[in-house]
Amino acid sequence: MQPDKAVITTTCKSCHGGCGVLATVENGKITHIEGNPDSSTRGTMCAKGLASFQEVYNPNRILYPMKRKGDRGEGKWERISWEEALETVAGKIKGSIKKYGAGSVAICQGTGRGYNRYTFRFARSIGTPNIGVPADFCYGPRLAVFGTTVGGRLYCDYHGWGGEYPKTQISWGKQLEITNADGEMAVWFLNSLDKAEHLILIDPRATRLAGRADLWLQVRPGTDAALALGMLNVIINEGLYDRDFVQNWTYGFEKLRERVQEYPPAKVAEITWIPADKIIKAARILATEKPGCIQIGESLEAGNNSIQTLRAIVCLMAVTGNIERPGSMINWVPPDTGPLEEFAMEVPAPEEPAIGADQFKLLSSPPMAMAHMHTIFKQLREGASQIRVMHLQGTNPLVAYPNTKEVKEGLLNAEFLSAADLYMSPTVEYADIVLPAAHWLESDDIHDMHPRFIIGAIHKVVDPPGEAWPDNKIYNELGKRLAPEYWFDNVEEMLNYQLRKANITWKEFTGMGFLAKMGKEQPYYKYKTDYWQKGGGFATNTGKVELYSTVMEKLGYDPLPYYLEPNESPYSTPELAKEYPFILSTGGRSPYYFHSQYRQVPWLRERQPYPIVQIHPETAGSLGIKNGDWVWIETPRGKIKQVAEVFAGIDPGVVVAQASWWYPEDPGPDHGIWKSSANVLTRNDPPFDPAMGSATFRALLCKIYKVEDE
Amino acid sequence: MNRTIFIDKDKCVGCYSCIVACKLEHSLPPEPVKPPLGNPTGPNLIRVYQVGPQIHDDEVHQYFLPIPCLHCLDAPCIKACPRSALYKDNDTGITLIDEDKCIGCKFCLWVCPYGAPQFYDGRMYLCDLCIHRIGEERQKGRQTACEAACPARAIHVGTTAEISALIGEKAAERAGKEKSI
Ligand code: SF4
Ligand code: SF4
Repeated sequence: MQPDKAVITTTCKSCHGGCGVLATVENGKITHIEGNPDSSTRGTMCAKGLASFQEVYNPNRILYPMKRKGDRGEGKWERISWEEALETVAGKIKGSIKKYGAGSVAICQGTGRGYNRYTFRFARSIGTPNIGVPADFCYGPRLAVFGTTVGGRLYCDYHGWGGEYPKTQISWGKQLEITNADGEMAVWFLNSLDKAEHLILIDPRATRLAGRADLWLQVRPGTDAALALGMLNVIINEGLYDRDFVQNWTYGFEKLRERVQEYPPAKVAEITWIPADKIIKAARILATEKPGCIQIGESLEAGNNSIQTLRAIVCLMAVTGNIERPGSMINWVPPDTGPLEEFAMEVPAPEEPAIGADQFKLLSSPPMAMAHMHTIFKQLREGASQIRVMHLQGTNPLVAYPNTKEVKEGLLNAEFLSAADLYMSPTVEYADIVLPAAHWLESDDIHDMHPRFIIGAIHKVVDPPGEAWPDNKIYNELGKRLAPEYWFDNVEEMLNYQLRKANITWKEFTGMGFLAKMGKEQPYYKYKTDYWQKGGGFATNTGKVELYSTVMEKLGYDPLPYYLEPNESPYSTPELAKEYPFILSTGGRSPYYFHSQYRQVPWLRERQPYPIVQIHPETAGSLGIKNGDWVWIETPRGKIKQVAEVFAGIDPGVVVAQASWWYPEDPGPDHGIWKSSANVLTRNDPPFDPAMGSATFRALLCKIYKVEDE
Repeated sequence: MNRTIFIDKDKCVGCYSCIVACKLEHSLPPEPVKPPLGNPTGPNLIRVYQVGPQIHDDEVHQYFLPIPCLHCLDAPCIKACPRSALYKDNDTGITLIDEDKCIGCKFCLWVCPYGAPQFYDGRMYLCDLCIHRIGEERQKGRQTACEAACPARAIHVGTTAEISALIGEKAAERAGKEKSI
């Protein structure tokens, strides 16, 4: 008898995701996965996505809803029914709303995972403004800056649909080639790179593309705004800007011209540690070798000046005319469904402001208003928080948020914690109710992580283990109990609803695999048409790309980009630098992990069992540190150890540690976070970014020394 | 019809997808266990090495080199094996291992210039160029699991004639370019 065998088309979301996948199922079990050659990602997949295979049948998965039996964190659990779990969570939420108001409930998720729109819809439907996401230091600043400056998100045009590929490419604080697809995919980027003439790498380290780049700007962590302003200075003063675009389609050029006079290359060289001639060269290449685009990394957002850093970079794109022309940066027309985030937006936002809204006005600006998590944890710690109940859907704050010690004190002060996850993470260990979540290979959903030209069908390949449920089902079932008018009979109806504008049903969509506007269907130069404004223009207040931001002005922030020295640095805190002489970035990433995920996946963990801190050979030598030694990294907040990689591609004064480590194999509840998680070191104190509230992860001060007892 | 693999080291970015794609294709250890192992190990039929960065005169020298079995024409491993456990597939020239004959003496590993033979848990494992996938059209000309997964197009598998044509075309293209990145 032939085994019952089928190949199912789906979409990966092991990172922010989007790769097309073919999954083979035999007799109800997945036997193989690989990339789908008929998808936009052409059959390629990354290590994390492929290793998903070991997540579906991973014996460490959470299988059933559970309630806490002993003390918080004691690790004693009792299996309960979904009914009891949902009733408990909904009851706690309801009770808290009744007693303390809707704002006493925080709905939290981690990195964007394609269920953001459910998180936001759920929060809005129950009336709380307090959506707790790591937005201030991850993607939120890009969203806010693109929105206010250009009127919509910009993506690199790697596709050649307009007849041109980027001639100049900049990779800025980003390693799209190995991690963190924020809308663009590695395979698109690498394919377009084969057609580019210039690659400029901006990073404190010689990352993977350093050998291929024609220019590597080794920037001091946290000084990227100065670099962008210095490049603007060169481009404007040398008259290399795109006169037509600047004159007709930007607002505030003369004011920007004035501002950038404060950033001559010689001064910027001092700030950034990049030789002036390289800054000038990079500026000239970007301005004259067109079209060009910039791949912007999250690193630029994780500091005290995130918004103005990104504003300066978007200004660079604008004055060089690298917006909306083929091969530059484009605001994609979405597929016929329209932007799926409308699913969240259509629920009226609560009147009540989010926590932190009084201070960080861009973070809490509509349409995607979010709460300031660092303030929430602080208030909780001080026992004075408005927040009583926290629902955590796929988030691991004990690893992800800065200053672990204080985050933990805060989290434990919440009256009630519910957590949905695949594994017992350090955070889930402290929950009162645990909900088992399904993997993407076990879920039906629509992939739309970053609203762009394509959405994909995430098609359930096998049943989840035990009683695990997909994220969308968990939200729908909780939603039905709390705000039934906004929720659906079942997940399929909810998916049909989201697809309605394209006149297709979920069933039809799974047969299609994806829905996109590609090739000739994707128009360029939309500002010259009625697309955003009748008679042409961008979707901003002035109809222009706002070099001078009217939104920032109205909110009381500097309308022009500027540079701000990091909170901690040899220049801003010279006294501290005596004790902590090295600049520390905790932005290290590897191709095997996505934030705090996957340490329990053997094919990935085998590749890299322990976190790595990169140290320059001279520095390592002077401290007696050899490649492979365990090294203490210490800041005023605490100390951790990671394994030294003696690495020539870094400044002797800078060390880069890897983020988001925990050890699933170590005993709970904390699973080794104190040993190696870089957020034990990071800083949750003000000053934050004034508009976004971003905390500092990338430009801190530390000392390092060899671990002697191992 | 000799099959061969071509590694374009100028293209590899060290994402290590190929390694995991290979593990999946060949169902290689380690398997998930509970509680997870902090330091799991298993065989790797393709390995990727990072060379550099070294910085000379302000130029960064760095590349990544994936190394599978290269299926040598005159394979030293086959000659070295005392039990004739290694042999060539007639049709493709792929070096294969007959597990029943292998006694695990590791002579093949000593003589292989690339460290390709993998020993794990009493067994020898070797890249087989995904011989079972030959003739399948599932990846539109990308034959092996590693070739299919690679986002950088750094791995190409085909007959020697196909690979020769590919490298020739690349050289011709490059001749027109000042600097290839
Ligand atoms: S194992 Fe080594 S020696 Fe044998 S064919 Fe492969 S590369 Fe050549
Ligand atoms: S998949 Fe390709 S780019 Fe990635 S490591 Fe392997 S050969 Fe290199």
